[in-house]
Amino acid sequence: MTHLTMEQLLALREPGLEPGVQSCREHVAECEVCRAEFDRLGQRIARLKALPTLKPARDRFASIRDRARGERSIRRVRVGAVGILALAASIALAVVTLRPHRERELVAASPELEDVMLRSQQLERALAQFDPDRRLVNGRTVTITATLEDRVAQLDRQLEVVQLLDTPERQHEALRLWRERVGLLDALMDIHLTGARYVGF
Amino acid sequence: MDAYRLADVEAVLPKLRAGDPIAQEALFRAFESPVYNLARRICRTTEDAEDVLQETFLEVFRSIAQFRGDGSIWGWVRTVAASKALMRLRRNRYRDTDELNDDITPLRREDAALRMDLEAALERLSETSRSVVWLHDVEGYTHEEIAQMMDRTVSFSKSQLARAHARLRRWLGEEVAV
Repeated sequence: MTHLTMEQLLALREPGLEPGVQSCREHVAECEVCRAEFDRLGQRIARLKALPTLKPARDRFASIRDRARGERSIRRVRVGAVGILALAASIALAVVTLRPHRERELVAASPELEDVMLRSQQLERALAQFDPDRRLVNGRTVTITATLEDRVAQLDRQLEVVQLLDTPERQHEALRLWRERVGLLDALMDIHLTGARYVGF
Repeated sequence: MDAYRLADVEAVLPKLRAGDPIAQEALFRAFESPVYNLARRICRTTEDAEDVLQETFLEVFRSIAQFRGDGSIWGWVRTVAASKALMRLRRNRYRDTDELNDDITPLRREDAALRMDLEAALERLSETSRSVVWLHDVEGYTHEEIAQMMDRTVSFSKSQLARAHARLRRWLGEEVAV
């Protein structure tokens, strides 16, 4: 007598009636060996369900909460930065349109400012190469990254204001802000390159 | 009916969507154990299971806006956890040969007469077989759902389950004398 395979016994436990299941059911009703096997299968599954619930050895909530908070903060900064960039682009367009000679003077008058702006752009491009998911290593990294990115966003707002100034200090102030921006972007690079073992700012 | 429940889900959901850490902790405390248990039963190590626990809740907090309340919140969290655990297995596959040959380590001579307990026997299954057994027999997923989650066919899921049970039966000394 051919007994049922494990696959056929398992099929008997599935809801619905697949082709061939009815004949297997009839076989189980008649065959003691298969009936015993089917009962053992049910008992084994019941024992699997009754295995104790394994619990984590340590409480992970604090690190999960910190990372979730960091991610939210970064998302907010990014959303804010997009808005600010759009606003800055509009203002810059207006300023350039209204005072084209003055803007050219600013760039021409300060090769140092041009250098700092160029360095800032290079760092931005380098930072964009990092995978955003890999960047978030742990709660501490996230917190530091969020702080630095917040400060960069603040600087961008200050730079917009400085661009609208009509004072002799404008050039000097812009240079100072751009330098600080480069410093922050450098620190962000350090985080990605060193895993945030130490970041001084 | 769900084995795990979050008290007053309706009150907690809007707070979760707003990123309220107290609501996040309530959700975490409600489902921490079953999520870890699911991850631990599927993953090879406690470290992997802890990582899955963390990734699951981060994903849940990130995507809570997408939970529309059609099913139970535990069902949703559990699906996220199962996906993360299976993703972890795929990531670790280079260490594992069970996709090419699902046979476990050959039995040592004395193992033939060994009567393992169920916990040890389950642990001894390959990761793929153990995942299918756990998801189907304990968590109650259908073969269709498992096939989708594992990116395999329904017949793969069925044959994995049958082979796993045949092994468990042998290792547990449950073979019926004919």
